[in-house]
Amino acid sequence: MARSYDAIIIGGGHNGLISAAYLARAGLTTLVLEKRHVLGGAAVTEEIFPGFRFSVFSYVVSLLRPEIIRDLQLPRHGLDILPLDGTFTPLRPGEGPAAGGGDYLWRVNDHGRTIRELRRWSAADAEAYEEYGQLMVEMARFIKPILAITPPDPTSNDPRPLMPLAGLARRFQQLPQRQQAVFVQLMTMSASDFLDQWFETKPLKATMSASGIIGTYQGVKSPGTAYVLLHHYMGEIDGAFRAWGIPKGGTGGISNAIGDAARALGAEIRTEAPVARIIVKGGRATGVVLESGEEIEASSILSSLDTRLTFLSLLEPGILDPSFEEEIRRFKFRGSSGKVNLAVDRLPDFTCLPGEGEHLRGAVSFSPSVEEMEQAYDDAKYGRFSRRPYVDMIIPTLVDPSMAPPGKHVISCFVQYAPYKLAPELGTWDDQREAFGDAVIDRIAEFAPNIRDVILHRNVQTPLDIERTTGLSEGNIFQGELSLEQLFFNRPVPGYARFRTPVRDLWLCGSATHPGGGIMGANGRIAALEVLKARGRRAA
Amino acid sequence: MTTNGYDAIVIGGGHNGLVTAAYLGRAGLRTVVLERRETLGGAATTTMPASGARVPTLAHTVGRLRPSVVRELDLKRHGLSLIGPDVRVFAPAPDGTAVALWSDPGRTAEGLRARSAHDADAYAAFDRLVRSLAGFLGELAARTPPDIESPGLGDAIAGLQLGRTFRGLGRRDARTITRVLPMAVADFVAESFESDALQAAIAWRGVHYTAMGPWSAGTTAVLLADSAGNDGGAAGQTVFARGGPGALAAALEAAGSAWGVEYRTGAEVGAITSRDGRATGVALVGGEELTARAVVAGIDPKRALSRLADPVAIGPSLLWRAANIRTPGTVAKVNLVLNGTPRFTAAGSEESVIHGRILLAPGIDPLERAHDAAKYGRWSAPPVLEATIPSLVDPSLVEGAAPGTQVMSVIAQSTPYALRDGTWDGRREAFGDLVVSTLDAYAPGLAGMITARQVLTPLDLERDYGLTGGHPMHGEHGLDQWFLWRPLLGHARYRLALDGLYLAGAGAHPGGGVSGQNGQNAAREILSDWKKRRR
Repeated sequence: MARSYDAIIIGGGHNGLISAAYLARAGLTTLVLEKRHVLGGAAVTEEIFPGFRFSVFSYVVSLLRPEIIRDLQLPRHGLDILPLDGTFTPLRPGEGPAAGGGDYLWRVNDHGRTIRELRRWSAADAEAYEEYGQLMVEMARFIKPILAITPPDPTSNDPRPLMPLAGLARRFQQLPQRQQAVFVQLMTMSASDFLDQWFETKPLKATMSASGIIGTYQGVKSPGTAYVLLHHYMGEIDGAFRAWGIPKGGTGGISNAIGDAARALGAEIRTEAPVARIIVKGGRATGVVLESGEEIEASSILSSLDTRLTFLSLLEPGILDPSFEEEIRRFKFRGSSGKVNLAVDRLPDFTCLPGEGEHLRGAVSFSPSVEEMEQAYDDAKYGRFSRRPYVDMIIPTLVDPSMAPPGKHVISCFVQYAPYKLAPELGTWDDQREAFGDAVIDRIAEFAPNIRDVILHRNVQTPLDIERTTGLSEGNIFQGELSLEQLFFNRPVPGYARFRTPVRDLWLCGSATHPGGGIMGANGRIAALEVLKARGRRAA
Repeated sequence: MTTNGYDAIVIGGGHNGLVTAAYLGRAGLRTVVLERRETLGGAATTTMPASGARVPTLAHTVGRLRPSVVRELDLKRHGLSLIGPDVRVFAPAPDGTAVALWSDPGRTAEGLRARSAHDADAYAAFDRLVRSLAGFLGELAARTPPDIESPGLGDAIAGLQLGRTFRGLGRRDARTITRVLPMAVADFVAESFESDALQAAIAWRGVHYTAMGPWSAGTTAVLLADSAGNDGGAAGQTVFARGGPGALAAALEAAGSAWGVEYRTGAEVGAITSRDGRATGVALVGGEELTARAVVAGIDPKRALSRLADPVAIGPSLLWRAANIRTPGTVAKVNLVLNGTPRFTAAGSEESVIHGRILLAPGIDPLERAHDAAKYGRWSAPPVLEATIPSLVDPSLVEGAAPGTQVMSVIAQSTPYALRDGTWDGRREAFGDLVVSTLDAYAPGLAGMITARQVLTPLDLERDYGLTGGHPMHGEHGLDQWFLWRPLLGHARYRLALDGLYLAGAGAHPGGGVSGQNGQNAAREILSDWKKRRR
């Protein structure tokens, strides 16, 4: 006789765990089923090399919703976010206003210091930076509520779900005209064009625009990339909460805290429990079958997996309407990023600012110019990894020494672009993995030539590896490309943006839904609230 | 000296300015059109690079012209005659094969069958989809974007009508349009077709005249807008004006003249005069001042606001926004007079296949790579070209020339205004040579037939035609300069910055192309204000 729950969550990534916690908090008997031995999905910490622990995939937290931290009392369960201060953009000899050994652009949280630094580059940019910052905070304040709403269906005749949109329209009307115009630009422009309106300093524009392309198969000149620039300012309006940083113990630390919170609220979590199939009877999802053959029943099934896995792997053929299935097959993944994790016995030394200093305690952004950022994308368009990639480097051991043996360090390099689908002449990612790793090291060595001498171990994660380990289709870290046509009421499929699926009692709660990816948790929370609403209960 | 008494002054005698002027004249307004150049028509004009041969100077087809404009202004009676060859597009590939798109979708599909049975079967449905989605955009194009600042009853009704049109698409197409408008056109065509050559032959219209490649978001909107309000469908329109595009300008002038509109060429406006936030007239470069109750800019909005209007009246915030209107010109034009008919290898024996648009863009990657070059200030080699030989269907163009003469009009895409190396004045002819050698590779012997050549670079488009940045659409066709925010949010209703100042050109909704739609919409709004003031 199969065991029975109120709710089963497939996948123990951060969104799945958050859904579980909210459902358990409302009194539902809840079970999380995770395929791997660790919780967290793409937010996991693993000891890849003896003594060296890595945030293997996702490596910083920037947007975890404050209400989730509060509701689930995550700090009590061990969540501790260590702030990262600043972004350091190294340059090569001959670049920048300083003479001699090269220059850099270094922005820190201390606003006054950043303005002084910018003035070194351009008085106009220093002035514009103030105005730009204020404007972005206003924009972030305006847009924030969108992250917390369930998208309406614009083709529906039912006006009720459109109400939040009407409220939004009213608030939009109240904005000054220039802010309205800038909002429209944020939704439609390329990051590079948007920033061109304010700034002239090359490394400033390149480094700021980089945030617009993280995890996407777009370049900084691609329309639609400006929007993500806002994310940097979202944290700021959440007040004292440190929005941007690395969790103590790596990103697995977040997952474990959420998992502990869920358990404390009564949820049951099973690891190494891969789901083979969702059971559908009479058009309703009624339970799951594990790969072991075990059957478990539940009245609500939530999948935190992406749409391809949920609908094409876990459902038996013939259940879905062909036109819906066509939309699912059409949904674009196109993983575009890779990760290089390094264990080093001493720190990299940058030609432009030698020595171990504060500049290494934040992010190091290898983004000297918009042109180089765009050229990195050009390679990817034709199925090649970037010969000179964009790299976002973090050295977690400088703020959390527990990640490596004493005196040693771990370095996390997020790399773009690494297209999942390689050009035929390159073969497979299994053929290209080390060549890709070499390209990343070469790129770093342009600015810090000693990098080759300090590496003890190297771990290269290609999009194929990300897919194999985490299950994320095509290695897309956001469970589907964040292009304009796959956002809001079109995410994941027009007509099914409200966490519901064509199968009754089967719900989506992962990044595949609005508002998309990142360790934000909003998806998992809103999905759980929708499930509770449908079940006629309120969140406790 | 001040000349008083005009009801309306139209700055710029491009086709949209001429359309607005004709409508205003028809309504009884005393209207004058001021054109800086010696001929009317702006980018819709015909020149004579060699004795007896006339060639479309910039635009070469007029198939987007709204039928209502032709009808209401009685343009046929005023001499406009349109020619639509059966073939719309002939897109040869370097390997000697070709894709041909015909007016009849069935004929196109049959031609595609040898290449791909899948594509042949998919073509009719794709053509229907494009017509349905473009039909909605055609309705949208004919409307004034709603007022979001202080919406009135009229806007509510317009909104409802639009909502009804939207729902009229049916739920499936309504969902499709919200999904595909912001999409990259390369993705859009790949949803229906597998053949790269066919994908490119259609996707071309998603990038033409823009500084985008087929992988850029929003290029599907450009493709669909090109088919909006006309018979383009999936293949796109290919319609010539008999006598060249200048014949359209002539018909518009004749129509306006009949209603009393005055036309002054060689009359360059140096400033828009204003008092207390209201446009009062214009000052010509020679010093002459003209006053009017309505001043209509047929020119691009960036020029109108940044160069002609009084900066104090416009204010710093709007000036900043106007200066940031994106006008990244990427189009050059090469016009050729030939002493014979070029033979395209891929055309085989089928002579009529080159009567439409000849497209040299053999794949999505070549389109994208051309754009890559332009991004960094280089032209691409080979360039992406769209050529027509209008004299094949309109012999009047070569009436006075030696027997056998043909004229060829070539639009070169992804040709950046700002060159990384050198200047356009120094490199104009080198680019012309590249275009000719590219054509010659597809039509061997063409280079030897050339008896006259004219190369117009983006710099020439700016200097000679007053197009800021050399952008023929008066502003990039991006999602950031669309509908409610074209040219600028809060100024999309054909009223521009000052009371009594209007925008009628391509910089307004629904954007560029020889449609006359902007001019028609602007005239409607001007006349609506006119009646209110009379009351």
